[in-house]
Amino acid sequence: MSSGPSVDGSAQNAGLEAVERVLPVVRRVVGARVSDPHLAEDLVQETLLRIMTAWDRIEASMVEPYAIATARNVVATMWRDRDREARNRHRALDLSTPEAPEDQVVLGEEQAAICEALGRLGEQERTRLLAHEVSGQDTRSLAAEAGSSAGAVAAQLHRTRARLRVEYLLTMEPGPPPTEDCRPVLLALSGGSRRRQRDLGVGRHLLGCDFCARVAEPLLGRAEAREDELRVPVQGDADIVKARQAAREVAAKLGFAKTQTTLVATAVSEVARNIVRFAGRGEVLVETLSEPRAGVRVVARDAGPGMTNPQEALADGFSTYNGLGLGLPGARRLMDEFVLVSEPGRGTTVTMTKWLEED
Amino acid sequence: MSDTGPALVSILRQGSYLVASVHTALDDTQMLRFQHDLVERIGTDRATGVIIDVAALDVLDSFGSMTLRRIAEMARLRGAETVIVGIQPDVAFAMVRLGMGPGEVPTALDLEEGLTYLNGHRDGQPGSADRPPRRPQRRP
Ligand SMILES: [Zn+2]
Repeated sequence: MSSGPSVDGSAQNAGLEAVERVLPVVRRVVGARVSDPHLAEDLVQETLLRIMTAWDRIEASMVEPYAIATARNVVATMWRDRDREARNRHRALDLSTPEAPEDQVVLGEEQAAICEALGRLGEQERTRLLAHEVSGQDTRSLAAEAGSSAGAVAAQLHRTRARLRVEYLLTMEPGPPPTEDCRPVLLALSGGSRRRQRDLGVGRHLLGCDFCARVAEPLLGRAEAREDELRVPVQGDADIVKARQAAREVAAKLGFAKTQTTLVATAVSEVARNIVRFAGRGEVLVETLSEPRAGVRVVARDAGPGMTNPQEALADGFSTYNGLGLGLPGARRLMDEFVLVSEPGRGTTVTMTKWLEED
Repeated sequence: MSDTGPALVSILRQGSYLVASVHTALDDTQMLRFQHDLVERIGTDRATGVIIDVAALDVLDSFGSMTLRRIAEMARLRGAETVIVGIQPDVAFAMVRLGMGPGEVPTALDLEEGLTYLNGHRDGQPGSADRPPRRPQRRP
């Protein structure tokens, strides 16, 4: 921020007049967002400098709106830079510094979006987040002010950041989310808690909701990163092969013998085919388990038509396509655990587990 | 299979037999294409025996097993006997657990055994006994 364009004498005089006019509104905008008086003053100065350098390009009637927008951007930039420093502990938004002029425009829009997202937070949420992120107030002193524990404040900050990310992404959308489930789903993704995501059926929602699938894209990496997990989108015959090969790979890495990896791969082939035949598209998730002992868990899910009678589908010889009724009951015989949940109109989820055989 | 890239399967003539070798894991569409091509060749070549080598298949699930059974049945209707060779032990184990063995389709350990089986069954019939089986090239 220190390396702004140089300001020549006449423009500087005109700019000084501008400063006097807009100083109160800039103070008000910055003061509403930053509680630390020293930091607020720095940001006010920064804003004023920007207004001065742009003075000759601003329409007289636009001075005040321009000042407000600039003040907001300066606060947002500061907030973002602070956040970037703290990225290893809590990543909020990852915006790299753009080089090209057109990138500057995009950045400006993103800053406006951040400000709007901040505005959608509750008063207390916002104040606390900014005190922590912008003013650098630590969780212990925030907790002391709130009569709470540092852990509780940290957890609340985590939730606030998660909400901010969601609100930020939503401000970039032309319309509101299409369903009532969308916001909780996006929040669960943003918060990164796997358990919450599972409870909400986030995976299934994303398969059925194009809005969330698009909006959530930047959030998808936020679940605790796990290398022992593979996700295979399934929407065609070739994906059946990919899914079973992924499952075999995961099982083999875990130490399964070839006979066992083939059992898992065969079962995955059956459940993946079920997705392609009945739902058209879905996904297969393969993850390793360590509790109560080593194992491979496969989740095959879709947001397809679902089944009116899941038990029927598990009966041998149940003929639904091509005279093949062995898919699901066969898969069940190959695995140690097998749970089928299906609801008409909501889709089908098969969760199956194979435990590593002890020597 | 596809117009470009390495062949996923090959179908070679060996006397009055056809030797069909699967070279890699096949998806369902490729499996059906394989069925179509092989059955067509049985007709045009007037084959009396078919050996399907599935040693390269990673998995024989319900669909794969059904397809092999269907090929054998269609071959039978066209006057050819089918033997499946090269089913890997782990694949065979999974097929049994799945409840999806090869059914009535005979199996043999490898190509040589497969040819021996066909020759034994077709002994005295024209087109096979007059020509001792050679081990064919699997990947030309
Ligand atoms: Zn949604």
